[in-house]
Amino acid sequence: MGGVEDNEPPLKRVRSSPEELRCVSKNSSLIEPIGSFGDTMAKSLPYVRNETVGSMGVIKKVEFVRIITKALYTMGYEKSGALLEEESGIPLHSPTVSLFMQQVLDGNWDESVTTLGKIGQLEDSVFKSATFLVFEQKFFELLENGDVLDALKTLRMEIAPLCIKKDRVHELAGCIISPSLCNELVLGNKGLLHRSTRFRLLEELQKLLPPAVMVPERRLEYLVEQALTVQRESCIFHNSVDSALSLYTDHQCGRDQIPTKTIQVLQKHCDEVWFLQFSHNGKYLATASQDCTTMIWKINNHSEVSLRHVLAGHRKPVSFVSWSPDDHQLLTCGIEEVVRCWDIESGNCLQIYEKSGLGLVSCGWFPGGTKLFTGVNDKSICVWDLDGMEVDWWKGQRAVKMSDMVFMNEGTIISMNKETSILLQNRETKAERVILEDNSITSFSVSKDERYILVNLSNQEIHLWSIKDDPRLMAKYKGHKRTRLDIRSCFGGSEESFVASGSEDSLVYIWHRGTGKLLEKLPGHSGAVNSVSWNPVNPHMFASASDDWTVRVWGLSDSDLRLVNGCSSNGHLCNGVG
Amino acid sequence: MGRLHLSYLDGRMYTCKYCYTHLALVDDIISKTFHCNNGKAYLFNKAVNVSLGEKAERMMTTGLHTVADLFCIACGSIVGWKYEVAPDRIQKYKEGKYILVMRKVVDFDGTNLGGGNESQAGASDADDAGY
Repeated sequence: MGGVEDNEPPLKRVRSSPEELRCVSKNSSLIEPIGSFGDTMAKSLPYVRNETVGSMGVIKKVEFVRIITKALYTMGYEKSGALLEEESGIPLHSPTVSLFMQQVLDGNWDESVTTLGKIGQLEDSVFKSATFLVFEQKFFELLENGDVLDALKTLRMEIAPLCIKKDRVHELAGCIISPSLCNELVLGNKGLLHRSTRFRLLEELQKLLPPAVMVPERRLEYLVEQALTVQRESCIFHNSVDSALSLYTDHQCGRDQIPTKTIQVLQKHCDEVWFLQFSHNGKYLATASQDCTTMIWKINNHSEVSLRHVLAGHRKPVSFVSWSPDDHQLLTCGIEEVVRCWDIESGNCLQIYEKSGLGLVSCGWFPGGTKLFTGVNDKSICVWDLDGMEVDWWKGQRAVKMSDMVFMNEGTIISMNKETSILLQNRETKAERVILEDNSITSFSVSKDERYILVNLSNQEIHLWSIKDDPRLMAKYKGHKRTRLDIRSCFGGSEESFVASGSEDSLVYIWHRGTGKLLEKLPGHSGAVNSVSWNPVNPHMFASASDDWTVRVWGLSDSDLRLVNGCSSNGHLCNGVG
Repeated sequence: MGRLHLSYLDGRMYTCKYCYTHLALVDDIISKTFHCNNGKAYLFNKAVNVSLGEKAERMMTTGLHTVADLFCIACGSIVGWKYEVAPDRIQKYKEGKYILVMRKVVDFDGTNLGGGNESQAGASDADDAGY
């Protein structure tokens, strides 16, 4: 017997003569294996309604084939789509629906409504809404052609009696009188060919009708994206800029996606380095030290860091810096001294902000970058403009500590109003929300999307609070050491899915933000690590500042290899390998 | 030593004798009747700007307690101890509370409340006349 070989291409089998087919079906009932090979002969076998696909038995075969067919059509593979419908015996749309769609595209409005009525399982309201849409399209097309009387008739006899969407009916009536209104109401340009607005009508109808009747657009793509999202979210170490997600295997990043290796040690400071911060564009790093200077470092395209400016002038150790929103300027704050504003390009000091007899303790920018605020050690807060003039002043509750205040872009001011609480106050509405802790708060930092706050506590815990609506405690991170010093933490990684912190035991700690799991304890420094800053633009780089006078730049553990392959022009990094 | 994180208190307080770092509020005094080799000591509800040493068991007049020495975080001088574990129910009230030795602190208005000779620097052989 010929013809029942499984490795024959399906097309061949389809074209075999009717006699052969009959033979095949006879044989297949005896030796047909259960499963997919049996299904390829489905042309001759009717499909069973409740058949399922997959090992879990939850995927209904009919639905599965239909969304694949739909995807084929969407991608433009008309022939493949038609063939699949034929071969599987599962049509994408029932004949009535296909007729309906064809009639809509051809503009046979009245017939299409009749056909619509023949499609079973339609709820009354859905039927009415769909009819409304069809007649609305008829109305617009008639108007466009200039058939005002016919359009009016449609409105009166066909649309209005449906008794839904009365406001829309009034708008349509208005269209008759003023054609310009018509322009606004019709989706898209008025001058387009009828066919493309009809396509849009079909899309609207498809959204309206139950999905079993007309398969939703791009359903298969949506399901695959959903699966990829789940994989990505369950990948703890996920930290890539481009989603290197493949459909072939489940996505699972290795530990090597987190920077764990020191790729550079910056040793230019002459004393402890207390604070550091990358610029918003990730191109510069500012480091502040007990040696009273701030250094600006440039990061080039190969992630190499080099010294750009030394900003000297403070007479006291620099405890805090703040980048302007456009990264052109930097504020530096000396401890209970003055605040200086520097130009990044030239390295010159543009302005000195001071209050005679008092010392400034913190600084920050207003969201627009035209004003800045400074905290004063008499618990007040001053607002200044870029020319050095004081424009506002108010008495805060507690302004003695460092990063006392942050102005969020959406108008909320975050400040510490007590040792154990943080106040979030809306500037316009004065509405207040409070984060209350049991232990004293030493510092806090805000995420890039301004939805979360990391709060460092004196009991050696870091708490994550969500601040989008009412403040809610989301997670706690533990393990690092903090008994005496101001140790700072930050968000990091692509999508800010990691939390990094310094520690008094000279290690850098990295946790997974979502689960709170401690991922890495990185040795390297020989003194307490005071501050960590993650590059906002390059998720594979962060930097740490330490009491050992150095700043370490951390990258991926295979980063050296990458530099060699990338043929960096820096001779000493290539070791001669091609 | 990094950027020290200092807390600041409001009101009448005791500060470190050598560096004047704020340590505890007068309002937080629970008892003034304690003594140690270095003179008087007060029991406080709460102390700030102190770091804890290793836990150790010490024999006091009232029994064997587990305590940890307190050091000023700014200058490191020893200022007292904290009770971690008390031996029986009567002494339970001391757990989690702080002793500041008066010889090592200064009242806010500048007077030194310590009296007598300084026999040794540490408070290791401290006795207390608790009730």
